[in-house]
Amino acid sequence: MALKVLTVDDSKTIRMIVKKAFKPYECELFEAENGQQGLEVAKKENPGLIVLDITMPVMNGTQMLEKLKGDPEMKDTPVIMLTAESGKENVLEIVKMGVTDYMVKPFKGEQLIDRVTKILTLEEKAAAAGEDTSKRYFSMDGDIQILTLPPKVDRPVSVEIEGHLKNKIEAMVNSGIQKIILALHRVTGTNVSLIKLIITIIQECQKADIQVRVVGTPAIRDELKEFQETSEITIDLSMDEAKGQF
Amino acid sequence: MASLETMDLKSFITNSVYGVFDTMLSMPIEASDQDCQQTQDGKRIVGSVGFAGKVLGNVSIHVNEDFARLITAAMLGMELDEIEGDEEIHDVIGELSNMVGGDIKSRLCDKDLQCELSIPSITSGSDFRTETKGWERHERFVFQNGVNVGLVEVFVKADR
Repeated sequence: MALKVLTVDDSKTIRMIVKKAFKPYECELFEAENGQQGLEVAKKENPGLIVLDITMPVMNGTQMLEKLKGDPEMKDTPVIMLTAESGKENVLEIVKMGVTDYMVKPFKGEQLIDRVTKILTLEEKAAAAGEDTSKRYFSMDGDIQILTLPPKVDRPVSVEIEGHLKNKIEAMVNSGIQKIILALHRVTGTNVSLIKLIITIIQECQKADIQVRVVGTPAIRDELKEFQETSEITIDLSMDEAKGQF
Repeated sequence: MASLETMDLKSFITNSVYGVFDTMLSMPIEASDQDCQQTQDGKRIVGSVGFAGKVLGNVSIHVNEDFARLITAAMLGMELDEIEGDEEIHDVIGELSNMVGGDIKSRLCDKDLQCELSIPSITSGSDFRTETKGWERHERFVFQNGVNVGLVEVFVKADR
């Protein structure tokens, strides 16, 4: 069963950083903007871990912790407190409150996970634990490698595909496959991550003497023309058209 | 109790700003000898936190819109065009001022100048000026990342 993690912070930024840190693990994340909301969510969801900010409006982290400790059902829930204040007195006060651990901001997501793994076991998601996610994007059609991009290419997707690219190109070269179709027909909109990824794919294939054709919708073709980096790329409007161009 | 007049407030500020930019943004910055005019031109965003107790003070970070967007993208691990809007940018700049302010506040508390930190506030616009009076110490730290320039200002006085 996924570990329920509740992040209580008035800053959406910190909640996003906490959520991102737990993303590779089998966790279900819940959010609250202050101690009062945090208590409500905690009572409803019974989380296995609470990541709690101190300075918040409405009800601060100290007050929420007191209430947690006074509730027989939640008093043993592990709590990691986040504080922007590293002063000795502040740290001593936090420790006295009976928190499981604390972190001083600024912090990296990996540092938070390090702390959590000292008190709880985190299970990696199947994909992170070794599932071949390249199958989501790469497939074969005869002697042509097809690389199909998803509807939204954001930074994590781009990093994931780039991570697979080198191995795929190496495998293509080793098995004598010299053609690749970059299929953009599912892509619903352009952004900087997509543009960078397209350029990287084309450049890496060219370095390995692999012929590339790009397939997309008329809308994507028009959008790519607007970017200096992709304005010269020829877009075929169907897979058959691309295959015929090799 | 340490004296505000002799305290190395400037080092507190620079160490704190370097630490936050390195840890949260992985963004190299360096001290700049430019004037801070760039942070005053065009649309700018100012994140501030106050502290009160044995010392009263205010810490504010001034950046222009372009730099604020870069900082936001770096903090949230996204591309510039994935930023959803001002709310996201304001939250990041507010959190940045909270971290820098929290660190400076902690250094003051360690010098027996106990004080409490406020939650952050944001001011944004293209035509405003802030004036402050009656502070004992005023320090500014101008820093840059590439062509982008930011300013951190700290005002402090003892509560008598």
